Amino acid sequence: MPNLKPKTTSLLALAVCAALVGCQQSEPQDPKVSYNKNPYPSTYKPLAQNTTLIKNATVLTGTGQRLNDADVLMVDGKIKQVGQNLSADGAKVIDAKGKWVTPGLIDVHSHLGVYPSPGVQSHQDGNEMTSPVTSEVWAEHSLWPQDPGFNTARAGGITTLQLLPGSANLIGGRGVTLRNIPAKTMQGMKFPDAPYGLKMACGENPKRVYGQRTQLPSTRMGNMAGYRQAWIDATEYKRAWDKYERDYAAGLNPQAPARDLQLDTLKGVLEGDILIHNHCYKAEEMAMMVDLGKEFGYHSGTFHHAIEAYKIADLLAENNNCAAMWPDWWGFKMEANDMIHENVAMVDAAKNSCAVVHSDSAKTIQRLNQEAGKIMYKANRNGFDIKPEHAIEWITKNAAKSLGVDKQTGTLEANKRADVVIWNGNPFSVYAKAEEVFLDGAKVFDIDDPAYQAKSDFMLGQR
Amino acid sequence: MNKLSKSIIKALAIGSLLPMSAMSLAQTLAITNATIHTASDKGVINNGTVLVEDGVITAINPANLNADVVVDAKGAMLTPGLIAPLNVLGLTEVSAVAQTNDYSDEKADMTFKPALAFNYLSGLIPYNRKGGITTAVITPYPDKDIFAGQTAVVNLSGEQDSVEQQSSGLLVVIGAKSKGSRAVSLQTLMEKLEDTDKALKKAEKAKKDKKDDDKEPSREEQLLNAVVKGEKPLIVSANRASDLLHLIELKKRFGLNLLIADAADAVLVKEQLAAAEIPVIIDPMSDLPGSFDGLHASLGNAATLSKAGVKVILHEGDTHNLYLQRFNAGNAVSYGMSKEAALQSMTSVPAQAFGIDAGTIEVGKPADLVLWHGDMFELSGYVEKMWINGKEYDTKSRQDALRDRYMNKGTMPEAYNK
Repeated sequence: MPNLKPKTTSLLALAVCAALVGCQQSEPQDPKVSYNKNPYPSTYKPLAQNTTLIKNATVLTGTGQRLNDADVLMVDGKIKQVGQNLSADGAKVIDAKGKWVTPGLIDVHSHLGVYPSPGVQSHQDGNEMTSPVTSEVWAEHSLWPQDPGFNTARAGGITTLQLLPGSANLIGGRGVTLRNIPAKTMQGMKFPDAPYGLKMACGENPKRVYGQRTQLPSTRMGNMAGYRQAWIDATEYKRAWDKYERDYAAGLNPQAPARDLQLDTLKGVLEGDILIHNHCYKAEEMAMMVDLGKEFGYHSGTFHHAIEAYKIADLLAENNNCAAMWPDWWGFKMEANDMIHENVAMVDAAKNSCAVVHSDSAKTIQRLNQEAGKIMYKANRNGFDIKPEHAIEWITKNAAKSLGVDKQTGTLEANKRADVVIWNGNPFSVYAKAEEVFLDGAKVFDIDDPAYQAKSDFMLGQR
Repeated sequence: MNKLSKSIIKALAIGSLLPMSAMSLAQTLAITNATIHTASDKGVINNGTVLVEDGVITAINPANLNADVVVDAKGAMLTPGLIAPLNVLGLTEVSAVAQTNDYSDEKADMTFKPALAFNYLSGLIPYNRKGGITTAVITPYPDKDIFAGQTAVVNLSGEQDSVEQQSSGLLVVIGAKSKGSRAVSLQTLMEKLEDTDKALKKAEKAKKDKKDDDKEPSREEQLLNAVVKGEKPLIVSANRASDLLHLIELKKRFGLNLLIADAADAVLVKEQLAAAEIPVIIDPMSDLPGSFDGLHASLGNAATLSKAGVKVILHEGDTHNLYLQRFNAGNAVSYGMSKEAALQSMTSVPAQAFGIDAGTIEVGKPADLVLWHGDMFELSGYVEKMWINGKEYDTKSRQDALRDRYMNKGTMPEAYNK
């Protein structure tokens, strides 16, 4: 738990100053105290790209549309146009007859780079399991860009992904959204202007990890108490900063609150800059986390793993929560015991829903299309009528919304980033393969051309 | 089949209590107009008929069709039931609930028989039938010893007599260790085999010299004797090429019935594996260097090994989702394995390697059969009907009940919806 003592002192000091406001009028203002909210900025640069025209494909736009014999035009790294009989001067033309085209796939839940391959002890950098609240840690600071998993994910059509800290803690730290580009540095992969995520975790993991150490939380009610205390601390912290800003703007010379790295991130959530990504399986827990957000004035964001989301699909939709789910993982914990294959479809069926298929796996991130396909076909045998043009939204548009990057990517609409996958056929097939992958209009993967198949430093030269 | 007649009698006795179809009570069953993927050297038989009597396949394309129940497959794909190798089916319910786990014990030695703990009522059994799986090879997990214990063969009927072989093979785990040297593991295995071999030869000589030793061998000795004589499969989990080479040597030296599981580096020694006729049990979806023992995992490995003549057995490691095995196979096909080889890698190859009397559609084999809707490898394909020892089973599981409860909402809380 954050120690509020120094800040309490400074709040008192401020109160005294405010009472003596008259005497401060003549005091000159010290330089304004502020801090850089983006100290590790993105240096991502798209690779060299040409104007490219993909012709005659079956196009799933990510907006619910399927266009047959359609073309996709990419200019200056952006989607220029999707439609029929397009042409463009000097464009590189790809005949995609018989092939399918979709937006680049987006995985909202990955631990690539923070739990990389090989999974040796020295690489276990994904979970700061030393305190139940570690909102001061940022997943990006653990990222190893040479994880071979980025390359295999790209071969599966993944163009954007969010790396999250693990789920041992009530509040585990910041997640970071990446462009899936081979780079030497974390900054080189960072999605420009994407909001940060904050990982929270419900249920069994935090209470198991800390309960074993005989410390809070050892129960689910302990979990709730832990979140609430953290948000109380964050609320106080924000109030202190807000007052500082206000007083300074009023010409006073207030003392700035002491900076607290842990509370900076929580304050970012309260201010709407950082989005919640909450590992939470069970219906009753998700419902409480929705209320927790309301109690402290932030939005409860996306529920990850959400095994029981189908039980409260309406509640999630009404509260504008996304739910990110697997098709079939179950049985590894009690809280994963009520899995059903139709979970995503049932969440999706609610009005204004936001159903997402995620991986949480270095393996299935390579086949999010198949993960979505399993759900679509199974649901369609049990009362649903889900079409490929809709199912694709679970791994494109809705995922982009969950990450707050939906204005930039996730659909094939004019002026969006040209993140595009050409598939050898229907992507919801076990035989589907991404043939070409484009990131901001630049080809970053080609199944037939080794020149477009990146290899990690780690794999290079291995015998 | 003894076991089947028993279960039919049982079904007849309490038939009225169970929601079983008439077919499951039938003495004879004919599946007609099927595209029969025999998984044997007979390949695919189009428009074929399979006749089942008392749980056994008694004819393929009989001259006269006379059966109590006839199922018209309408051209659909009929395959042998799939075999899921090396998992803990019936030995776990919820992984994190220790009380539900019976696959491991710190007191266990190599004679450990987890099959005694097999729970035929496990919720994972009907769920995994969704993957067309009719048989599983269940295994102990190693505790500290390299000898994990004895594997067993079970069917997925969910019936009281599901355990078909309680003691089917010996599982050994070698390779990378977080503490100590793998050499000790290899040495332990080699010396056990050597000592057993010597003792067997000595006993053989004593028998010849009519100096029979009355001493009953210990349970461990009996097990090792069966392994060294090649009567029982020795299943060794190993990955690195250097380890695989040692194992290949051991097979040659002792004539073991050896299977290698995991085998991430198998592609590097594929010719030797093929020549030594050592089946490998691999996860075809493994394509990342999980450790320094596994730098050669690749989606193409199943195809590469299969084409090199290695007997490939496909493995899904998640016991809760064994049903995924056929999709794994579909991906292996997508990366170059033939469909025929992919099917055999889940049926006839594991049957032969583990010594299971199943895995092909042939006269005399138990009628473990799956009739597929569509392509068995495809995400859109599914089990239309399936039979284990000639009796029909459905694929409904608790998950379907939960779905139905929450999809069909009434005015009362869902808890009343049963």
